[in-house]
Amino acid sequence: MAFEPLLTRNIHRPGSESIDVYLAAGGYQGLKRVLKEFTPEKLVEEVKASGLRGRGGAGFPTGMKWSFLPKGREKPRYLCINADESEPGTFKDRLLIEKDPHLVLEGIIASAYAIECHTAFFYIRGEFHQGYRTFEKAIAEARARGFLGKNILGSGFDLEVIVYRGAGAYICGEETALLESLEGKRGYPRIKPPFPAIVGLYGCPTIINNVETLANVTLIAERGAAWYAAIGRPPKNTGPKLFCISGHVKRPGVYEAPLGIPFLELLNEHAGGMLHPSRPLKAAVPGGSSMKILPASKCDVLLDFDSLAAAGTSLGSAGGMVMDSGTCIVGALLNLARFYAHESCGQCTPCREGTGWIVKILSRLERGDGRPEDVDRLADIAFRIEGNTVCPFGEAIAWPVDSYVKAFRDEFEDHARRHACPMRAGA
Amino acid sequence: MSDPQTPEPRLSPPPHQPNVPSPVASTGGPAAAAGPAAALAAPAGAPVVPGTAPAPGAAPALPQTGPDEVALLIDDRPVVVRKGTTVLQAAEKAGILVPHYCYYPGMSIAGNCRMCLVEIEKMPKLQIGCATVAAPGMVVRTNNERVRGVRAGIQEFLLINHPLDCPICDQAGECRLQSYEKDYGRGFSRFAEEKVHFPKRYDIGRSVLFDAERCIKCTRCIRFCDEVSQSHELALFSRGDHAIVGTFPGRPLDNPYSGCTADVCPVGALTWKPFRFKARVWFLKNVPSVCAGCARGCNVNVATFRNRIHRMTPRVNAEVNTYWMCDAGRQSYDTLYSRPRFERPIVRGLPDATVEQALDRAAALLRDTAKTGGKESVAAIVSARLSLEDHYMAKRILGELAGITRLAVPPHEEGEDDHLLIRRDKTPNARGAELLGLGAPSSGRVREILDDVASGRVKGLVVVGEDLLDLAGVAPATLDRLEALIVLDAWKSPTVERAHVAIPSCGYGEFEGTMVNFQGRAQRLRAALRPPGEADPAWRILRDLGRRFGLTSEYATAQAIFDEIAAKVPAFSGLTFRALGDLGAPVRGAAVPGAAGAPGTVA
Repeated sequence: MAFEPLLTRNIHRPGSESIDVYLAAGGYQGLKRVLKEFTPEKLVEEVKASGLRGRGGAGFPTGMKWSFLPKGREKPRYLCINADESEPGTFKDRLLIEKDPHLVLEGIIASAYAIECHTAFFYIRGEFHQGYRTFEKAIAEARARGFLGKNILGSGFDLEVIVYRGAGAYICGEETALLESLEGKRGYPRIKPPFPAIVGLYGCPTIINNVETLANVTLIAERGAAWYAAIGRPPKNTGPKLFCISGHVKRPGVYEAPLGIPFLELLNEHAGGMLHPSRPLKAAVPGGSSMKILPASKCDVLLDFDSLAAAGTSLGSAGGMVMDSGTCIVGALLNLARFYAHESCGQCTPCREGTGWIVKILSRLERGDGRPEDVDRLADIAFRIEGNTVCPFGEAIAWPVDSYVKAFRDEFEDHARRHACPMRAGA
Repeated sequence: MSDPQTPEPRLSPPPHQPNVPSPVASTGGPAAAAGPAAALAAPAGAPVVPGTAPAPGAAPALPQTGPDEVALLIDDRPVVVRKGTTVLQAAEKAGILVPHYCYYPGMSIAGNCRMCLVEIEKMPKLQIGCATVAAPGMVVRTNNERVRGVRAGIQEFLLINHPLDCPICDQAGECRLQSYEKDYGRGFSRFAEEKVHFPKRYDIGRSVLFDAERCIKCTRCIRFCDEVSQSHELALFSRGDHAIVGTFPGRPLDNPYSGCTADVCPVGALTWKPFRFKARVWFLKNVPSVCAGCARGCNVNVATFRNRIHRMTPRVNAEVNTYWMCDAGRQSYDTLYSRPRFERPIVRGLPDATVEQALDRAAALLRDTAKTGGKESVAAIVSARLSLEDHYMAKRILGELAGITRLAVPPHEEGEDDHLLIRRDKTPNARGAELLGLGAPSSGRVREILDDVASGRVKGLVVVGEDLLDLAGVAPATLDRLEALIVLDAWKSPTVERAHVAIPSCGYGEFEGTMVNFQGRAQRLRAALRPPGEADPAWRILRDLGRRFGLTSEYATAQAIFDEIAAKVPAFSGLTFRALGDLGAPVRGAAVPGAAGAPGTVA
């Protein structure tokens, strides 16, 4: 079954980021169809029927999220687009923003129409300089053609999209920290409940969607829920997906495939297989850095939300990372833990203190000052963080630590016993 | 010392008293789990009086509730609370203390310490009690193995980067980290790494010093400056375990309430400079009293050690000061030690006079002056900083028995009323003086008397608790014209030095008595110190002077005087000294419009 690229269909066209190229390829037809044929309520139902699940990491059904908005209209509603893509190993949204911004923008306009919102905020990672310029230009082009502003395409629907650049904190990709940041405050995740759909940006009902999610809404707007729901592994894992793959592979990059593609197919066919023929696969994190690791023996999995959950990990943001047999797992975890310790916002106790402690223990293990009790201690610290924090950042450090230690316990113990990193010693 | 001086309301058992286990096991197991659930499912039968212990083995039932109420089970105890109450507050009502660091009544919920995580049936994750609103039928467990395990984890996390300098920390003895470690901690450290280091003596403001290593980042101080003092000096800088509370360039922590940041600090990170290294808190004796720094009358704890006040901290009174007090009030006891005290009576021409001799001479001078110059030639100036009992005796003795008709009360005003507590009127008992008929503080009336002193029309003057030379525009030569200057005061003031007779009276913290604040609330001040030398409360000196004018009533105590005031002065009818208790009571018809209640939120 040949898969026709949907999300990446334009990226190889010269000038793909310009509205002319986008229109020539049939762009904004979906939006026109939606504005003409759908009421907002019907469009929410359509997105529900498509089975689309959020592409930001949690995989929450998008239509259902939209339907959580309160019925009243006393306050304005906001749509925030989470373009703060900062997960190590995840670089899919960047591709869409830089190469096909109108695909995203069309989805934003259709989604704003569905949730009856007239101001959307595009929160883009501060380091995405190119993406920021591209997207601002796309907004200007769309406004000039009547896709944004007052009375879009004569439908009576108004929308403004405001681009806001983050200041460099990973935590601002967490949806409520994003809202705080957008409000001009320190990027601290909020206590939930209340959820943003009820009390969000500036205290108003707010929907926060990932960039790729909204690009998928464009596809649904173009060709309908029934068509969309047949892609992937229906009923619960539908649609195309951008998979990032990095690490010890021949061709790291972003690849589009339907949900449910086997990981080994992505690795061997799309990414060209392992980088060094002599070094086989040791482990992979299919979902992204904050998800659980799978040892090579368990890597024969399908890449979709439910299959990976059954395998004990999670699809996350699909930022797959591949490690070959030359990788020191302790060193890999140390590298990861350093990132999380650096990015912990410091708001709540377990994450603030726990991430730093994990780094200190891993550093000792890696440089040869490890102790036998360190291995259990790492798992115990992860256990004491998990579930006890304000936001999912706690799990983002607890899951890797716990899973790396569980899957490669020998290697950790070896570090402690030998008072050295065996990989480094052998190199 | 029964209660370590903590500014927080101790409404529930202190953490070292473990919650009494309920008859129904709360540590899980199918039977235990079915118990409360069955109780919830059962139709509300006979209403259960809250607080009655369920019979052993019986499932506790939820009481019926009113329309604005919520009934829930906390550790198998039925609790009824108002809608909107948090689980932590509901538990407190049931007498269960859920340990916490960042929650503080009267400020917003931060939910960052994670110490108050509790188990709530049907919720897979533990929930923070401070932010979770009690819902009908909720089944909460605050002290089972899972919850205690998480608390042990939080304790460990908080301590890994916390210096163990308790032996030199002023907070020791009233430190949350210490007491919770005793209850929930493992008692030893598994942390074998280098701690994160921060500035130890960070001079963060005029009166507060910051030890950033002790800080647990609960953000109480930041929220205080944002929400209560509204001065916004503090913020958190940096991320992760390098996060540090700090100030902005050129804007140190310097607001009229900065001391409250040290009060709310659950650890020894923020300390009040004047109290640093002054005393271990377990040696302090805390006396509930009232600040006399202005007309607000903030409720305070006066902490003494070896007959010296070492600090004053706010005591909760929802009607007056909620949880706070100002820095000026906090250090108002400084005057006791910054000026030379007046300890032995002075009688001009009679060295080493006794109090009895001084009183004899005072009575004789007053009589002689009135005889030669007429009634109008004697006047009295009485301070509004004195107690109600002092005022009553001044009126009774000076006004009625000694026949002085010209009485004046000097005002003391400074600055403006602010948004929170501080009053422009710096006299703590002006309302009391007014209600007793001494008249409201009036600079005009004081001025008239002093002008008449200057012109020679007034030849005899009694001054109680004021330094006349401290009042604007009074020349020492004016006082030298007097034939009889009788002064009662606590300090060796220039007025005392010019007196014909001067008798030492008590200073702040040295007497029992009552004062009426600007809201019309009568509140008790308690004696926390022994007065120096021969100093006595002004009412007692006035009483003894009254004996020279035929006074027969006993007036043995401040209480006896107050109770007579209550019997005779309509505004105080219905009050008794005893019934004023620690929180005071409003006097009749004295409420100032708009002054009732206190600023800030009361949880």
